[in-house]
Formats: sequence, C-alpha cells, structure tokens
Amino acid sequence: MSRASTRFDTKKVNSELVTLTYGSLVAQMIKDIENPDDVNKQLERLGYNMGIRLVEDFLAKTSSGRCLDLKDTADKIQSAFRMYLGVQPNVANWSPAGDEFSFILDSNPLTDLVELPEDLKSLRYCNIICGAIRGALEMVQLDIQSWIVQDQLKGDSNTEIRVKFIRKLEDAIPVGEE
Amino acid sequence: MDDTLFEFLHSEVVNYVVEGNNILNKDNKDEDLSNLEYIGFSVGYKIIERLTREMARFKDELDMMKFVCTDFWSAIYKKQIDNLRTNHQGVYVLQDNGFKFLTKMSNGKQYLELAPRYVAFTCGIIRGSLANLGVNCLVTAEVQNMPACKFHIQVQRT
Amino acid sequence: MAVCAAIIGKDNSPKYFTCLNPDEELGFQYKVLSSLDVIEEKLNSGNKSVSDTRELYLGMLYSLEKHKIYGYVSNTKIKFIIVIDSTNTSLRDNEIRSMFRKLHSIYADNVCNPFYIPDEPITSKSFDKSVKHIISGI
Repeated sequence: MSRASTRFDTKKVNSELVTLTYGSLVAQMIKDIENPDDVNKQLERLGYNMGIRLVEDFLAKTSSGRCLDLKDTADKIQSAFRMYLGVQPNVANWSPAGDEFSFILDSNPLTDLVELPEDLKSLRYCNIICGAIRGALEMVQLDIQSWIVQDQLKGDSNTEIRVKFIRKLEDAIPVGEE
Repeated sequence: MDDTLFEFLHSEVVNYVVEGNNILNKDNKDEDLSNLEYIGFSVGYKIIERLTREMARFKDELDMMKFVCTDFWSAIYKKQIDNLRTNHQGVYVLQDNGFKFLTKMSNGKQYLELAPRYVAFTCGIIRGSLANLGVNCLVTAEVQNMPACKFHIQVQRT
Repeated sequence: MAVCAAIIGKDNSPKYFTCLNPDEELGFQYKVLSSLDVIEEKLNSGNKSVSDTRELYLGMLYSLEKHKIYGYVSNTKIKFIIVIDSTNTSLRDNEIRSMFRKLHSIYADNVCNPFYIPDEPITSKSFDKSVKHIISGI
C-alpha cells in the first residue's frame, strides 16, 4: 500500500472534512424535509446513532473506568469533545441539585464558516451534538435530556449545551461496568 | 482531531439517504444514491477551493489528476491512490487497493451488493473537486474485490 | 488602499463588486469587464514566453491615466480584480499580492458556508465587510 504523504496538514483537512460533510448533509436535509423543526429532530437522531458508536470508541481508546457521578461523567464528555472535535468546552452552570449542567464552547468546528440564512433561524444546527451526548450516555445507562441554550450562529457570544439528568436506566449493569 | 468522527458521520450520511429511499420506494431494486453523490459533490467542490488556495496553477488536466491521486487523496483517505491510468482522451481510472470505506466490510456477495452505498459519496467528492477546477466529468466506481475500488472518470468535453 | 474590488466567476459573470465611491460604480464595472480579456490573454499566451505564469497573481493587467488594474486567478478559475488609484505610488507589488491572497481566502471561506450555492452572486454582509476591510488596507 502506498504511503500517505501530502503537502497538507491532515488533521486540519480532517476537521474541515467533518465540517463540510456535516454542512452539506444539513443543506440536503433542508431540501428534503423543509420544516426546520423536523430537521432538528432528524439531526438529533443522527447524533444519537453516532453517540452510541462514539462511546464504544471512546471507552476503548481511553480505557476509562466507570463514571463515579455526574461530575465525572461531565469531565469524560469534556475530554471526548477534545478528542473528536478538537475543542475543550467548559463545564459550568450546575443546578443547585447537581442534576443539570452546561458545556460552554467558545468556538465550535462544526459551525466554522456557517452563516445561517434569515429564514432558517429556527434551525438548531448543532443538534447533532445534543443527540450524540444522549446516545453516548444511554449506552452507560444514563437517561438524559440535552438541548441548546445559547448559539453562536444566532449571535450569542458562545454556544451553550445543557444536559439534564433524568434517571438511571433500570435493569442494567451499573454505569461503566463491563 | 481523530478521523473516527468523519467515518461515523459518513456512515450516518449513507444511512440517512438509504432510509429516505426506503420510505419513498420500497420495491425499487436499483437504489437511488444521487443525493449521497450530491452531498459528496458539494464537499469536494468546497474543500478543493480551500486546498488549492496556496498552490501554483495546474499545468494541465493530467497535472490535476495526479494531484487528486496524491496530495488530495492522502489528505482525505490517509493513503495515495495505488494506480492511475489514462487513455489520454479524457478517461482516467484511479485504483485504490484498500479504499477506506470498504476496509471494514467483509468480502462476500451480500456485502458486495452494498458496496455502491460506500463509494457514492466519494464519487461525488471527485466530481465536485474536478468541477470546481473547471473539469466537468462523470465519475463511477467499480468494486470487484473488496476493499479495492476503481474510480472511473470520464471528462465531458463540450 | 484600493478603490475597487471585483470577483468574477468561471463563466465571466460577476459574483461580487464593490468600490469606495458609489458614484463611480458604472465606470469601474466597465474597467473590470474590459480587463477580463487581458486575463484570458495572460493565461493562454503564458506557456512559453512568460517565465512564471503558474503563479495565481497575474500582476498589473493594464494601466490608465487615473487607475491601475491588477488581476489574480484561482485554480478554480475565479478571477479577482483590484483597481488602484494611479497617484497611489506607495503601494508595493507584494502588498497587492497579499491583498489578493486575503480576498481569495475569504472567498474560499464563503464558498464553504453550507448555505452558499456555488456560482451564485455573493450577498453575505459579513463577506462584504471583510472585503472592505481588506481593500482599505487597515
């Protein structure tokens, strides 16, 4: 097999490839589905499918153990952001009860170079991330909800993704155990 | 950044298009993968604009094809095209002996039937990048022995 | 500082145009369009005579009493044109080249917006702002 040699920075190209592929997919969905609310749902579902696969990959690559609590879970997702998207969000805005928190991103490779048209203001472009978090955590027996609170694409100064713990999933092996 | 994400995203793009087809026409034997190809086209068209930004002008069409086989392919698929052939009349055949999206599939007839789903996006990437470089062409893929794949490029002269 | 900048598509149709003084717009549009032939010539004649036609920056296309017109063509056959006031002698070739590179760079970024349809005229406000920033040379 021929060797990979290229004048390009492959890491950077890879990141652009993800951004562009995702962007082209969203554009195609808008053509197919039209109603932005349905596109939002579809993006969340797609993220969910990816989350299920990503968590396996993440656990295999990092050989991380069981999540001790929600704080620990948040830290692990934070490092998954770094691993897959190359950005490290802040974990912040914990609810007093400790069952809700946010990831705050100053920059988001997925939305690099994206400008949302006026007529698509109800599109939640990054919903795939919410879906991925939900899918990944379901695999470790955590039922959560996730949604976008602030969105740079809509003029906010950063992107905030909220995560709310609902319950531990029944009849399952404890979180993180084989 | 890790390329797992691109791989997983690609398979979700494939699933999205295939599921859409299933809803529309269950009985159609020949799958319509044109939307998948078009998503690839759009990615190719856009990424080539960025990649060739700092590069000297191409000498000719063959020079472009060589670029696609080497730097371009390596940047996207982490390996070069293994063989490039041309009849010097606008037909180019690019052979990849271990095409990324086929390497994780087993070799067998039932899988071979699914192969078109995993090459359509890339046909689009090739067509889109060449279209933006000013070369209009048709791109098809031929898979006989997985994970090898031959991409046939037929330049449309007008 | 440049007085006018234009981006022309593969098929020679205008994609973007701006000039500092809106009253002169028509005159500049005419100058830009007539420079396209010079670009064609430079690209085609190149092979033997001119030493390095493979550079994207084509240098000065032609000069008039009041203005100088410069060109740059990307690998994707997009033509970028900048008009400079002839009295502006402080601007060096390298600075013009770098102005073109910046223009090309933001053009490529704009193409990558998933909601931009290839070959359509560029209407993005942030793009317009960036171009004005580049040509005013701040």
